[in-house]
Amino acid sequence: MRSPYSLYLVMAAALAFSLLSCGKKEETTEKAPAVTPAAAPVDLATVGSVSGTVKLDGPAPKPKKINMAAEPSCAAIHASSPAFDEEVVEGEGGTLANVVVYVKEGAGNRAFEPPKTPVTLDQKGCTYIPHVVALQASQPLDVINSDKTTHNIHPVPKNNREWNKSQPPGAPNIEEVFGREEVAIPVKCNVHPWMKSYIAVFKHPYFQVTKTNGSFELKNLPAGTYTIEAWHEKYGTTSQTVTLAAKESKTVSFVFKAASGD
Amino acid sequence: MPETHSDDPIQSRSFTVPLLVSVFLLLLTVAWSLYDEFYGLRPWRSYQHEFAKVYAQYLNNQIPRQQNREKLIRESAEYKKLDEQVRAAEEAARPRLREIGKESDYIDRRLAALTDRFQEARGKVTALVYTMELYPVGTNSRKSKFAEVEQAKKEIYAVELPTPDGRVETKKFVYDQLEAEFNNLKARKAQLVAEQGEVLRPPKELREQRDNYFKEKMEGLTADQLKGLLNAAEHLDISIRQINVNPTDPGINNFGSGGLVDRCQSCHLGTDPKLVPLAMTLIKADLGLAKSKDAPFASHPETELLKIHTTEKFGCSPCHGGNGRALDSVRRAHGRYEHWLWPLYYAENYQAGCQQCHAADMLTEHAPVLNRGKDLYRSRGCIGCHKFEGFDDQSEQILASRQAIRQLEQEKKDDELEIPRLNKAADAAPDNETARKLNARATNLTVTISNIDARIEQLEQKTRSLFREEKKVGPSLKEVRMKLLKEWIPYWLGHTHEFRPATKMPQFRLEQDQIQAIAAFIWQSGVPGPALAKQPPGDAGRGKQLFEARGCMACHAVGEGSNVIGGDFAANLSHVGEKAGYDYLVRWVHNPRERTRPFCPFEKRDLGPEDYAKHGLAYVFDLEHSRCPNDGHELQVQQPTVMPSLRLTWEEARDIASYLITLKRKDASYELAPDLDDPRLKERGRALVKNYGCAGCHEISGLEDEPRLGTELTTEGSKPIERLDFARLTEDAKRGVLPDGKESPRGPWYDQKGFFEQKLASPAVYDKDKYKPDPLDRLKMPKPNVTADDINALTTFLLGSVDPQLPQDYMYKPGDARHDVQAGWWIVTKYNCMGCHQVHIGQQSVLQNLPQYQGDNKIKLPPPLIPEGARVDPNWLAHFLDNPAMSKTDLNRNGVRSYLEVRMPTFSFSDDEIQKLVRFFAAASSQAQPYLPPKLEPLTDTERTVARQLFTSPAAPCLKCHATGDPAHDKDATAPNFLLARERLKPAWTLRWILDPARIVPGTAMPSGLFRKEGDHWIFSGPLPPSVQGYAKDHADLLVRYMFQLTPEEQLMLTGRTAATAGSGE
Repeated sequence: MRSPYSLYLVMAAALAFSLLSCGKKEETTEKAPAVTPAAAPVDLATVGSVSGTVKLDGPAPKPKKINMAAEPSCAAIHASSPAFDEEVVEGEGGTLANVVVYVKEGAGNRAFEPPKTPVTLDQKGCTYIPHVVALQASQPLDVINSDKTTHNIHPVPKNNREWNKSQPPGAPNIEEVFGREEVAIPVKCNVHPWMKSYIAVFKHPYFQVTKTNGSFELKNLPAGTYTIEAWHEKYGTTSQTVTLAAKESKTVSFVFKAASGD
Repeated sequence: MPETHSDDPIQSRSFTVPLLVSVFLLLLTVAWSLYDEFYGLRPWRSYQHEFAKVYAQYLNNQIPRQQNREKLIRESAEYKKLDEQVRAAEEAARPRLREIGKESDYIDRRLAALTDRFQEARGKVTALVYTMELYPVGTNSRKSKFAEVEQAKKEIYAVELPTPDGRVETKKFVYDQLEAEFNNLKARKAQLVAEQGEVLRPPKELREQRDNYFKEKMEGLTADQLKGLLNAAEHLDISIRQINVNPTDPGINNFGSGGLVDRCQSCHLGTDPKLVPLAMTLIKADLGLAKSKDAPFASHPETELLKIHTTEKFGCSPCHGGNGRALDSVRRAHGRYEHWLWPLYYAENYQAGCQQCHAADMLTEHAPVLNRGKDLYRSRGCIGCHKFEGFDDQSEQILASRQAIRQLEQEKKDDELEIPRLNKAADAAPDNETARKLNARATNLTVTISNIDARIEQLEQKTRSLFREEKKVGPSLKEVRMKLLKEWIPYWLGHTHEFRPATKMPQFRLEQDQIQAIAAFIWQSGVPGPALAKQPPGDAGRGKQLFEARGCMACHAVGEGSNVIGGDFAANLSHVGEKAGYDYLVRWVHNPRERTRPFCPFEKRDLGPEDYAKHGLAYVFDLEHSRCPNDGHELQVQQPTVMPSLRLTWEEARDIASYLITLKRKDASYELAPDLDDPRLKERGRALVKNYGCAGCHEISGLEDEPRLGTELTTEGSKPIERLDFARLTEDAKRGVLPDGKESPRGPWYDQKGFFEQKLASPAVYDKDKYKPDPLDRLKMPKPNVTADDINALTTFLLGSVDPQLPQDYMYKPGDARHDVQAGWWIVTKYNCMGCHQVHIGQQSVLQNLPQYQGDNKIKLPPPLIPEGARVDPNWLAHFLDNPAMSKTDLNRNGVRSYLEVRMPTFSFSDDEIQKLVRFFAAASSQAQPYLPPKLEPLTDTERTVARQLFTSPAAPCLKCHATGDPAHDKDATAPNFLLARERLKPAWTLRWILDPARIVPGTAMPSGLFRKEGDHWIFSGPLPPSVQGYAKDHADLLVRYMFQLTPEEQLMLTGRTAATAGSGE
């Protein structure tokens, strides 16, 4: 005469199990978005690279001379070598400077420790040096004032926080960080309206700003398919997809079309 | 045979007698009820009969008197002349009028003949035109209809027209001619009517002139008017006279629906303007009833009041109290029975009726008793314990702003913590959209914080103002250790009214041991220093002169008994030398607002030099250094006294203090008070001080935030009688027995009036026969130092302080300039401006009545401020009130009237107070706000020469009396420097002033009659200098323009010139 009891037992056990399993299921679905799968560190032995040049197709607009009469201390610096606006800087053979080339897609969710070494942005002769800065999110940016006048540094980002700080001559460097990826944050100095610069922020280290020779090289890329993008302040962006095998190096060229009006 | 029952009363007894008695009783009852119906319950009927009789008698006496007056006027040469002119003018107009009348008649007759025919023709033509218009243009039908119209217009009408010589002629017209004739006649008629008006005008104007002359000369009503009144009195309709206000508005009062119904005039017939016009006053004596106690026939004694409070809007009872509907007895109508909550105010309290609507006024015109009551309520420190809406509540406001600041600071802190949290979340956000939102929230928080900062800053500014405005009735007790003779303190507590008979401080009911404990607490809680600067002795003789000359006596009195001289706004200083420390007195006289330690309301303590030293700061705190070194909040840096700084030199302060120290009785001595340093007494003393609410009137260390102890009295007059605790006196009050056992002159005093009067006379009275073994259980209210008149004024004020029964729009809360006047009075009375100045017409300043300002010395009085708003530029006035020396460095002087010894003090007004005062003066002089100075026409070269000559002419030696800035000259000056005019004065006022100064300020040193009117402009009335003779424009206007464009250089030149011309002239 044990059957009724055993029946109860079985039923109770079944109920308990189903409840437990239900609970477990809910737990996992809840936690899913919060937990990022730990990305494997980049294996430096198998990485490859993408390199190439950026060119401008068509004539570059003639750089305009900047009149710095409003700021005599800077005008003096440029007395012999006048300053030109740096919107389009072309090298020999149509190579294009100040283009940020970077991995747009394909780097995955890997978290990269931001470098501790700061990237510097100097204000010298009332121009920003360099004109385009690229750095990693949370990597320090050091703003230097080498001029004998007060500048204000005023980045106007979309996804990061806007700030605007005054830097009198001789003041210590301003150290700031940007928390989020953003290409590219325009920077201006309200005191000297001709001063312009751009800051590109990435969550990975796969980026480079071209010099006058227009060349770039993105190193340490693990095997995979990448969207490589090039950004220019005037000509916008253009991108290409590259698939890299382990230890493979590929070459990619970017060509921006010069605007017909210029 | 009928059965007889010998025991049946119906058969055996007669009911004749009881029936007869019943019949009589019934008849009597009917008669009684009829009597009651017509007379008993209608006492007003007999009043009306009597009024009709005595009033008719009075009028009958008056009529011949007035007729005689009229006759005298009509027979006067002036009237006859005017009357003659009227007649002459009428005569002159008559021929033309006759002609006009004749022609007008003729036209009327012609029109009458013409009109019918014309209207008939017009009807016909119009109808045809209408039918034509029904067809579109260009159609044949329209054309044919048009032909019909043309045909109709050609039809000939024969009219029989009258001719000028009276005959009738028949004339024939086509339509157009008929219309023209009709219009011509109409036009001519209009012309004639206009001309008639023109011709009639001269006699009409002259008639008005004659009648006006009659009205001006005639005193009282004319005989005809009186005859009209007599007729009304003789045929007086004996009926209820009722004023009904807003009958359709049930919300007018609590007296019931159907609005306000007042039937007071049923007995008080003299107040009915239909019977006794407002232009006529009627008193009992006029009616031959001077001695009667039952003759309610006088007219309203204040017709001015009635004009602004018409009975149609206000009725009677809203102002006077009483039951306006009741008619059956005087007692009921006056509401003096237990079921009526608003009894008629007694004569001595009638101004209580103003308070209900005028609660927001500090000064109500026509209500001196009420005003006195309000003034006492504030000045005697009732407000220290009893909150009253509208009266000073700065301490509550300071507390509220401090709490608000605390709360905002906490909010700010929370927000500041939230920002980095949001930033972090934004950097880690999964997508840019979220990141942007989070970043935006962080950015918004920074803006919120900055808003909080702005609000805190505003609250700090407000606190700063409030600290300036906060005044205590009594002196600060924080400084007793430097101010007072220690042993005097317990004496004062026990003998308050003996030591200083007119003091504001009430006498507390204290036992000897309580006095010791309180004195010990006061002494021990006093701030310890820093020690005051040691002052060398001054010259008491010179001090006395300064005391009398600088204006101290506008507020302070000296002398005892009947020898008291000076104002009663502040303490009588007769015995001040017995209690005050010299060094303290010197500092006080030099600047009474100076404190030994600033008070920090956040830390709730008085800061010392050590607090400043901690932050490396010098121990400097004043209105420019009023932030706490520890937390940055506003400090109380002034003593909370209304006494202003007279900007004396230290030497003068020493002289005055030396004089004050001599004010004491020779034999004054006080027992040593060793207990005062006993620390064991301090706690008990503190408890007692809290119990008796000393901090309501005094600043006391550690008790700065004590709330007011007593009942709020804003609506005390509405308190039901059951809630006023007559205690063991209830029965006596109902029987009319006063607490001292005497009979109450007005009978029972069980009402609000009785309660207030007895409470004010002796607050302890309601403890009579109560069992209260612990002194702390007894009634706490101290005995105020008030006279019987004061008690009446305070009672009047309290009786009137009721929950408003009238609708909101009856409350006197004007939205226009009168509001500025209303608000200004609170400041003017707070600082006793009227001690030195005349501020409203008819008011006397305290100084005016002092012996040192009589006769010739009137010239030394401060200026009257009645025309101040019209006189000065409000922007200038604001600066002047802030800094009456009109200098940042040279403070020992008057900024405007440098020649006056009496000193306009520095009150350290808050910005709000200055604004209220400036607006007050502007509104009181009906000035538009804001004031934009008019542009004055610049002077031409010729004008400048003319003006210079006028300015310095021997007949108008302006610069003899007006100060010039040259000390040698200015010591005899009696008028302000002209250089101030441009910033200070308004040109329009200046012009009125130089034309007739005595009209603006009677008794001024400035002479009238400097100019005479010639045509439409003013000419200098002295001998005209040569250059002036050719100048055709207004001289007064020229001088005003010159004055407003005067420069220091020009004035220097003038003073040089005066000497030169004076020399050459002789």
